[in-house]
Amino acid sequence: MITFENVGMRYGMGTEVLRDISFSLDRGSFHFLTGPSGAGKTTLLKLLYLAHRPSRGLVNFFGRDLATLEREALPRLRRRIGVVFQDFRLLDHLTAFENVALPLRIQGAKKAQVADHVEELLSWVGLEDRMHARPATLSGGEKQRVAIARAVINKPDLLVADEPTGNVDPTMARRLMHLFVELNKIGTTIVVATHDEELVEMIGAPILSLDKGELSQIEGGTPFDPGED
Amino acid sequence: MWGRTLQFLPKQNQREGLLPWVIGVMLFLCALSLTSALALGRGLERWSAGLTSNLSVQIVVDEPHERQQQTDAVLTMLRATPGVKEASVMATEDVIGLLRPWLGDMPTDTGLPLPTLIEVKLTKADAVNIKGLGERLRATAPGARLDDHQAWMTQILDLAGVVQLLLAGIVVMVVLCTVAIVIFGCRAGLASHRESIEIMHLMGAEDKTISKAFDERYLGHGLKGGLFGVLMAGLTLYVLIRLAAEMGQGLIQAGLPAASSLMWLALLPLMSGLITMVTARITVRRALLELM
Repeated sequence: MITFENVGMRYGMGTEVLRDISFSLDRGSFHFLTGPSGAGKTTLLKLLYLAHRPSRGLVNFFGRDLATLEREALPRLRRRIGVVFQDFRLLDHLTAFENVALPLRIQGAKKAQVADHVEELLSWVGLEDRMHARPATLSGGEKQRVAIARAVINKPDLLVADEPTGNVDPTMARRLMHLFVELNKIGTTIVVATHDEELVEMIGAPILSLDKGELSQIEGGTPFDPGED
Repeated sequence: MWGRTLQFLPKQNQREGLLPWVIGVMLFLCALSLTSALALGRGLERWSAGLTSNLSVQIVVDEPHERQQQTDAVLTMLRATPGVKEASVMATEDVIGLLRPWLGDMPTDTGLPLPTLIEVKLTKADAVNIKGLGERLRATAPGARLDDHQAWMTQILDLAGVVQLLLAGIVVMVVLCTVAIVIFGCRAGLASHRESIEIMHLMGAEDKTISKAFDERYLGHGLKGGLFGVLMAGLTLYVLIRLAAEMGQGLIQAGLPAASSLMWLALLPLMSGLITMVTARITVRRALLELM
């Protein structure tokens, strides 16, 4: 579904922050992205959520070659990708409900449909009482859950999450991972960047490990069973 | 263009707060300049049309009997000339009245050798060949001098033309300034909404969806500013027209429009709104092109 071949990335005239990155993500796969700070995780995630084009190499998204893809075609591809940012990036002047509703509204979903989906998902992440609160009044964990709800509301084909459980307690972390696994089961490809070794062990998914801009792949352990929750 | 807009921008933005006022001031200046330029053109046209269909003939002869003879000959010749509607001798009191600004009050019987003045009204401005008429006058009466007002009127019309050009230049500069101000305002707005724009962009919002939110906002700024500027300009012009009407006729009024012709000012806020909206749209679209 997504293929990177010998991808290199540099900002301006600087040195390459990613070198010869090659991997593929099959439909319905689950990968962790790990590596020390400065290894290039954020840059790789930006390539995955189509914020940048690579400096070199081939990138194929959903059967489309990024190098030959016109700019006008990118919004449709982006709508198939959900992103959980490490710093949440919620719109401060919108309520939790409005933030989560944005991807559906961008797709032109009907108002009633938006309301049903958003309320259901916010209840699922335990924010049914905070739907109309603005981000400034939410705790870090609550913001993170709103950010996750926004990323998964339109059941994306690819979910890219940067430290998605960094600000929540272990119970909520497990619950959110449960959500990711459930999405994964219905065909969503998931890439989670994390430093949380426990989380990696718990899920047992393959690991994309970055170090100094170079990628190595490690097979996963025992798969996570959501039924244990 | 007027479809459902995904409004993701906050309702208030301090950086844009002054924009409608600035647009208002620009529109005020624009409306005044444009109105004056147009009114000056129309006024001078009317005024010069009135003058060019009038001529004066002076009979400058010291000896009274000879002066009367030449006057009679000139009147006969003029009244027989095609294109001349009326030719009449100006009363001595009126001639003295014309000299009053320079010589002060004088009795009718001054003893001064005043010329005889003949007022000539033409059927229309170009009804008579002025050069030919001048030659025939000199042949009829050696003391006759034709004044068609051209010499000094040409200077005034030239001056008025320059003033009109200046006013048109001011209008162009004001419009360009307004566009520049909107571009700066829009860029400041973009900078303050950068985070929201990026998020919308990454969630798959098309450029037109994002720019539409700015379109509506800046259309509102343009309409509000335009309305304020035009109301102020209308009020100012109304006061000036009233004052000029009290002061009398002439050149002062030539530079002012008729109160009824101010109705077109109502179109300016709409134009201001459209210019502002289009400028904002172009600025936002260009900024969005910098994103992948």
